[in-house]
Amino acid sequence: MSSETPTSPSENGANSAITPGHYYGYGLPYLPIEGSPGKIIAIEGTDGVGRTTQIGLLREWLEVQGYGVLETGWTRSPLMQPTIELAKSSNTLNKLTFVLLYATDFADRLEREIIPALKAGFVVLSDRYVFTAMARAGVRGVERQWIRNLYGFAIAPHLVFYLKIDVDTLIRRVLESRGMNYWESGMDLKLGDDIHDSFRAYQRALLREYQSLADEFGFRVVDARRKVNVIQDELRRQIGEFLAASDAPTPTPLAVT
Amino acid sequence: MTFSLLHATDFADRLLYNIVPPLKAGMIVLADRYAYTAFARDAARGVDPRWVRELYSFAVRPDLALYFRVPIEVSLDRLLARRVKLKFYEAGMDMGWSANVVESFRLFQGKVLGEYDKLVGEFGLSVVDATGPITNQQREFRRLVAEYLEISREQRDSDVAV
Repeated sequence: MSSETPTSPSENGANSAITPGHYYGYGLPYLPIEGSPGKIIAIEGTDGVGRTTQIGLLREWLEVQGYGVLETGWTRSPLMQPTIELAKSSNTLNKLTFVLLYATDFADRLEREIIPALKAGFVVLSDRYVFTAMARAGVRGVERQWIRNLYGFAIAPHLVFYLKIDVDTLIRRVLESRGMNYWESGMDLKLGDDIHDSFRAYQRALLREYQSLADEFGFRVVDARRKVNVIQDELRRQIGEFLAASDAPTPTPLAVT
Repeated sequence: MTFSLLHATDFADRLLYNIVPPLKAGMIVLADRYAYTAFARDAARGVDPRWVRELYSFAVRPDLALYFRVPIEVSLDRLLARRVKLKFYEAGMDMGWSANVVESFRLFQGKVLGEYDKLVGEFGLSVVDATGPITNQQREFRRLVAEYLEISREQRDSDVAV
């Protein structure tokens, strides 16, 4: 429901030129963030690709260098986590309420964790970022421009790493660890009763969405089919270069043993 | 922002379960508050008004929207006369503008009313003077609704005729 005087999303919306450390769109007018010394590093990628492992290793490495590190992750806000779990366990969620619950969770973490940490000069390691929401919503047919406007209150990260994997490798990896679950298999999309086939179709669609987001938002693509320490080395090298080039104190690069 | 998004989630849920099905069945839906409440309240809390309008672009535009207008002092008198305890968020206590609940309510709801007044022109809300007796308000309300339904029936009839 738009007003009589049409607003133009291209002017101030999510798709204007992206500046790291600034809001994508209209932002939070009551929380100015310009000039905050902290950095946001987001690790994106589909379920089971190894994001959490990599973030744990990065945290240790950064803390040894003397950085303050804040880890934040999808649906981890104290405000929304119980609500989201409850809503997922019932059958009343539709694509719109699903998207809005995730956005509320993100808004809570942004205001209470991410922005204070940025202002205090922390390195924020984000396990998933708004792109996960955009990819999932894209697969479910939510209007593209609407979700980009919605996340216009988010801050553009300084670095976004996309851990990229192909669907066959992903399936083997997920089956070897914890197995496929209902939501990661997109069973809500009713693609079929077979969880393997549904997982494959859903994850393939997600990977397509991530690929188009990678171009749109300038992700740094990392081949996630390699060994954990090889991926970690690449992440450390790129992060080390970025932090060295910015105002932050220079970390000495360390190899993973 | 979480306040705004939680209300939008609630609204989306009610829209899909309680509003759209009866609409499709040709029924009349009476909504006690609508997206306009969010436009006024969220703007008063400092959320970007353009963002809130885009957020609610999934909402169905009402066929008729009435705004019951009272000055802030009248609404305060009514609430206090009934010895209603002013609610934390209703009084905008989260804004930290005043430690006194009544004063905070006056400041916050005053701002909300200012926002509502802007919406009248923007969305063509029909204003009902809500300071008068309930009977008068109800008659005015019925007149506006009847007038609207009359018009839409005429339109439908002429559409059928064409």
